[in-house]
Amino acid sequence: MSLEPRFLEDLAAAAVSEGLADVVYGTVRTPLGRMLVARSDKGLCRVAFAEESSDDVLMELAAGLGPRVVASERATKDVCDALVSYLEGERVELDFPVDLSLVASAFRRQVLLEGLGRIPRGRVITYGDIAASIGHPRAARAAGTALARNPVPIVVPCHRVVPAGGSIGNYGGSPWRKRFLLELEGAI
Amino acid sequence: MHSSSPLPPFWRLVEDHGAELLRHARRLSGEEAEDVLQEALLKALRSYPRLRSGDHLRAWLYRVTTTVAFDHHNRRARELPVSDVPDVAQHDGYALGEFEALLDGIAESPRQALVMRFVHDLDYAAMARRLDCSTEAARQRVSSAVRMLRRRMT
Repeated sequence: MSLEPRFLEDLAAAAVSEGLADVVYGTVRTPLGRMLVARSDKGLCRVAFAEESSDDVLMELAAGLGPRVVASERATKDVCDALVSYLEGERVELDFPVDLSLVASAFRRQVLLEGLGRIPRGRVITYGDIAASIGHPRAARAAGTALARNPVPIVVPCHRVVPAGGSIGNYGGSPWRKRFLLELEGAI
Repeated sequence: MHSSSPLPPFWRLVEDHGAELLRHARRLSGEEAEDVLQEALLKALRSYPRLRSGDHLRAWLYRVTTTVAFDHHNRRARELPVSDVPDVAQHDGYALGEFEALLDGIAESPRQALVMRFVHDLDYAAMARRLDCSTEAARQRVSSAVRMLRRRMT
């Protein structure tokens, strides 16, 4: 037995308005399955697909951003709604500020922010291209690792990076999702 | 230090223990249980990052809830009595007769104070004029009558 949703949502709202939450999270059903969305004061810090256990994701958030992890559908609704619209094919911008505190190194943050920031919807580039675009032409593999560990998939569009050989390549959220996203965006 | 477990995400504690904490709060505070529990969980959240370890968190939450329930009770008793009793007396459909029944058996002087304050809705200054005492004395008379009433109701 758990507390009533109304009580929990009021508690979360009070926690947020008093600045007591390090992270707020919510879950949403989308065409790519159930997803968990989390944000800090600075921005969106985590988007997780259903294969990741939410217990693990919440532990990761607690360790990386602070233990005051609070669930609030209300505080994550804008992001959840936008994601659903996007995945249903609407032309909405997912231009939410992101918080890459969970990313382990400055290089990886650079790959995710600068590298991916240059790829518009409907286009793809290769791992080599993205490494070169941030001035590390020999770091294609390291760039690949940064993309594989992207904590904010879809919004930070790591799915737009593919191998040079023409295949669709790997994806943290399994390749079928990458294909779905690239088809949706008209890139393949 | 190293053997202590890390702090789990706070919401997991709320989900795991919330229902039993609400029952605990209800035993201590009755109808105010939800307010007490919300206050307790916010208080817990405030100090959560400063806890040294993630052990014994359930016991800690019980302790915080108990403390808040007692504080709540004391505060309500001190804030006397305007915020409390009128709610009862003016409650929709609450017959005046029932309020009077509550007063049954209470001595004349406190009873008079309660009726002036809550039935006739006089403020303390007006009561003081009628009772020919100070405003403070009128307030105290109502407070002690409310305390008496509270004891009878529990």
